[in-house]
Amino acid sequence: MASEQPLSREDFDRMAKLMGISGEPAYLDELYSQARGVFISAKSIRDIDVTGAEPDMAFIPKTD
Amino acid sequence: MDALEICYMSAGDLSKLVQSKEVSPVEIIDAHLARIEETEPVLNSFITLLAEESRAAARQAEKDIQAGRYKGPLHGIPVGLKDLYNTAGVRTTSGSKIFDTFIPAEDCTVAAKFHQAGAILLGKLNMHQFAYGPTGENPDYGHMHNPWNPEMVTGGSSGGSGSAAAAGQCTITTGSDTGGSIRIPAALCGIVGLKPTYGLVSRWGLTALSWSLDHPGPMVRTVEDAAITMNVIAGYDPRDIASAKVDIPDYTTALTGDVRGLRIGMPKEYFEAPLDPQVRKAVLDAVSLLESMGAEVKEVSFPMFNESQAISSTVLMAEASAYHRDLLEKDGHRLYEPVRQRLEAGLFISAADYLRAQQARAMLDAEGRRLLDDVDLLAGPTEPVTAPELLASRVMAGEQEIGVVGALTQYTRPYNINGFPAISVPCGFSESGMPIGLQLAGKPFDELTVLRAAHAYEQATDWHTRRPPL
Repeated sequence: MASEQPLSREDFDRMAKLMGISGEPAYLDELYSQARGVFISAKSIRDIDVTGAEPDMAFIPKTD
Repeated sequence: MDALEICYMSAGDLSKLVQSKEVSPVEIIDAHLARIEETEPVLNSFITLLAEESRAAARQAEKDIQAGRYKGPLHGIPVGLKDLYNTAGVRTTSGSKIFDTFIPAEDCTVAAKFHQAGAILLGKLNMHQFAYGPTGENPDYGHMHNPWNPEMVTGGSSGGSGSAAAAGQCTITTGSDTGGSIRIPAALCGIVGLKPTYGLVSRWGLTALSWSLDHPGPMVRTVEDAAITMNVIAGYDPRDIASAKVDIPDYTTALTGDVRGLRIGMPKEYFEAPLDPQVRKAVLDAVSLLESMGAEVKEVSFPMFNESQAISSTVLMAEASAYHRDLLEKDGHRLYEPVRQRLEAGLFISAADYLRAQQARAMLDAEGRRLLDDVDLLAGPTEPVTAPELLASRVMAGEQEIGVVGALTQYTRPYNINGFPAISVPCGFSESGMPIGLQLAGKPFDELTVLRAAHAYEQATDWHTRRPPL
């Protein structure tokens, strides 16, 4: 289950390292700000009641 | 004929003169190349200009037409393609020096269709790097500048297309629209931009930003030219897995000037969001005009509009990061920093959140379809503001200061999420002389109704006849 806490800097640094992301401190500071934005947006997504809604992503084998 | 007049003629009007041999394709291309030479130092619309190639193609078109081999309304008409449309033998950079020397072996489907129709490729147009931004910034090939005020952005990501069409550098241009990238520069530059229904125009051979949100489409100066262009580029393509097998009508049949009986809904949520009062007034005046012409207008509610930013950004960022992951790992340090940051930030989206966004997307789609059971079109602003200053990160929308990226995609992204057709048509100017756009969205594959209303409005006003002070 995904956490609903805002992303801490320590968690960001750990995740960035695991994903192979590196850069100058100023770059990582800005990226941290953007990654926090992603987590805030994800919280908004989780707050939507999607009961009964199936994502339109069915894989349909080609017939031709 | 005066060269500048040629540059500002629509494809619809120019094609009549070409067919009747009153104007030759050579004259048309020479006029446009002169216009480009005059204005390009200010605008920076092009990444690659094909001066000699287009002159040679014009001479061939002239011979063909003289010999009675007229191909149709785009024969001899200059076209500019956003530089993420692959073009055989012509470099395609996607707005990045990383691909500065990439020369595709094959045309994308849209470019091939233009070629078959006899259109002349004038050049490849500047764009926000990898189409990942709504302003028209590009440090690799230079930022794009708005013809109405070069200190302001063109909007993006198809910024060069917006400025080239608005300034008379090209008769027809194309864009691609993932969160608004056709309609945003169309509104901010004062031209017409049509995002067709998802799957109606082939994406094959275009650099992707987000597979499920990308829509290619025309950016032109008149609604008629949007219809003429759609007649050429729409249609099923087996090479695009999302391509729709639908009948393609003659889109110009929609241009009747008649909106009597058309039902137009105004989502109340549009007017509860941050919105510049000048834009609000221009849009309300435009809808009132349509009502006076016989359309039935009523307020509707589109609650999922308020969820569109979260849905759009989650889907777009995850897909863009997946598409560009190899590039990010290999050449990340060569990307424009804000683009690299967006791509790397997208890696922080979990699969579960991406799929939940897709669930919410299905709900937004269902709500939109229900709304369009009761009305034929949804109308509102294309943009909440006029063009912001170049490189600004914040903008005032009325009394609220908001982020530029969120502001510029505020009204456009819902129709990338559900794939419905949406057009931006000029509907006024601010006190400072910057264009304002009216957005009309319709039912899936009902471009005819969208074009019909946009054309009727356009013909009842003179906004589309104004020219930028260049």
